[in-house]
Amino acid sequence: MANITCSNIVKSYGAFPVIDGLDLSIPDHEFVVFLGPSGCGKSTMLRMIAGLEEVTGGRIEIGGTDVTDMPPGDRGVAMVFQSYALYPHMSVADNITFGLRRQGVSRSEIAPRLEQVADMLGLSPYLDRRPKNLSGGQQQRVAMARAMIKTPKVFLFDEPLSNLDAKLREKLRTEIRKMHLQLKTTTIFVTHDQLEAMTIADRIVLMRDGEIEQMGTPDEIFERPASHFVADFIGTPAMNFIDATIEAGHVARAGSIALSLSPELFPGLVPGQKVELGLRPASMDLAAPDAPNAIGGTVVLVENMGAEGQVITQVDGAEISFVTPQFRQVRAGETVHFALRPDQIHIFDPETGRSLRGV
Amino acid sequence: MTRKIFVRLALVPAISILATLALVSIAGAIWFALMNRTLRSPEYEFVGAYNFLRLLRDSRFFNALEISALWELITVTGTLGLAVLLSVLIYETVQKPLWRNVICFAFLVPVLLPRVAAAFIWRFMYSPSLGVINYLCGLVGIGPVEFLADPSLALISVAVVDIWQWGLFFTVIVLKLMETLPRDPIEAAMLDNARRWEIHAYVTLPMLKGPLVSLALVKAVESLRSFDLIFVMTGGGPGKATETLDLYAYQMGINMGGRISYASAMSLLLLVVTTIAFTVIWKAGKKWAA
Ligand SMILES: Nc1ncnc2c1ncn2[C@@H]1O[C@H](COP(=O)(O)OP(=O)(O)O)[C@@H](O)[C@H]1O
Ligand SMILES: [Mg+2]
Repeated sequence: MANITCSNIVKSYGAFPVIDGLDLSIPDHEFVVFLGPSGCGKSTMLRMIAGLEEVTGGRIEIGGTDVTDMPPGDRGVAMVFQSYALYPHMSVADNITFGLRRQGVSRSEIAPRLEQVADMLGLSPYLDRRPKNLSGGQQQRVAMARAMIKTPKVFLFDEPLSNLDAKLREKLRTEIRKMHLQLKTTTIFVTHDQLEAMTIADRIVLMRDGEIEQMGTPDEIFERPASHFVADFIGTPAMNFIDATIEAGHVARAGSIALSLSPELFPGLVPGQKVELGLRPASMDLAAPDAPNAIGGTVVLVENMGAEGQVITQVDGAEISFVTPQFRQVRAGETVHFALRPDQIHIFDPETGRSLRGV
Repeated sequence: MTRKIFVRLALVPAISILATLALVSIAGAIWFALMNRTLRSPEYEFVGAYNFLRLLRDSRFFNALEISALWELITVTGTLGLAVLLSVLIYETVQKPLWRNVICFAFLVPVLLPRVAAAFIWRFMYSPSLGVINYLCGLVGIGPVEFLADPSLALISVAVVDIWQWGLFFTVIVLKLMETLPRDPIEAAMLDNARRWEIHAYVTLPMLKGPLVSLALVKAVESLRSFDLIFVMTGGGPGKATETLDLYAYQMGINMGGRISYASAMSLLLLVVTTIAFTVIWKAGKKWAA
């Protein structure tokens, strides 16, 4: 009952539109991540849904109700800020229950809800403390408790984990995900961290310059990036891009590289067409020199990543990297061969950057 | 270590000048207070604690003490109350930085006026026959009101001038303080269903508790020095209705009696009382604001 519909949203600061005609529809219970580089309008979009920012044009509906002109408090949304935004002079308990008290919920009803939420987030020992006497992770848990206790229709998170160290970030990410599995509240989560997005999202909305570049499940976004931008943004190590020309027999050639492509995936390619190949380092691995689609290169650098290693090679003067578990046998200066399956090759239009995939 | 020494050395000149000035005048006051000097005659003798004991039986002294306390209370709460109300009002209603700056500039003007000038302006405005305030009162069918001659109104009427000068000045300070507050907790409160006034009552003003306590103390010290304002506007009258301790000391020591020894004793007592009172208030205020 708390689906979110944004139609033709426009937001301008002065004459300059930051978001220009964005349409978005989020089904009930879904965990959606707004992903994109800094400054692409993720926070602006989120804050318009929260009601903290006015829309310049368009309509926002939450659960079928038009909330475009509603004040933030009446929309039934709860938000967790990057800065935690706790009330510094109130105890943890008062911070968490502030919203309920403003709604006029009775003390006898607040007490058990506070206990339940504090238990769930492990905050019970800290209820009497001031926020400044808590660690960053604990403060962010208080902010989450403050959002949860209101049992909102929608949870909004604006980069809630950015101020935490890597380990804590991972832990809280799991907790947020678990919380969603339990409560099933429609959630929008903003981040610029693609790994965070991939691990937490039901669906990713990948934004660029105030527009939606691609929307889909993490698998769809990873396996079928709709554009060069998406392919470049998602996945570590970053995708290799190579300019190539199509030759007869569905072969893409770039200097010494010749890759045979799948005619089913790319039915529209014609010989002589200029394309951009996208090769994910993670989809490639060491191969025999005569293996299909093998690429030969000189090793420049080997980066140890623990279980795997990234091998950076030079091929015809350009750098191409791939990831292999057998990186320990590879030495700089050696010539190696690596290959990938035709269905793992991405092809983009060099002009528009759009994927040339047919299906 | 060298840094510490440097800091101390740098402080020495200022502190020694201040100490000399303060100590010399305090020592002089003590010296006078132990004798029975008057301006009328050159003769005097050493009387010990006589002046202090006299003070404790002087009902006019206690009246002045009461008026002083009342004056402190009215001007401090009035100034802070006005500053908080106006700054919240401006914060909520005036969004354009240009207009805010214009308002702030206008609000700074009264405090830049010499207090004597402010006193004369308001004395004229309060005038029963010529004053603009009584003219306005007349329009709604009240008055003429003897603002400065009515014992029950005089103190308040003078306090209004003080609050006008300092309340508007403090409004600017509180507004600037509010502008430095982080936006996030305010936005969180908006999402937490807090109404406009609730946001200020429960979030912004509590966040400014520390600075507000400091401002109150500054104003309390400042209010102790309102001699010129009261002197010009009412001279302590009507009767003793606006006679604060410094006015009484002046009346006793310079104006009527010329009993400078008695006045010195009074100012010493005032010094002790205010020092104790302010130490207590300062400690309590700091604890409360923490
Ligand atoms: N109050 C504002 N005034 C002017 N421009 C703004 C304001 N807030 C955001 N912007 C601009 O809007 C764009 C999107 O900002 P934001 O939504 O915060 O990006 P993100 O959260 O994706 O990093 C940025 O280019 C930013 O400069
Ligand atoms: Mg942002």
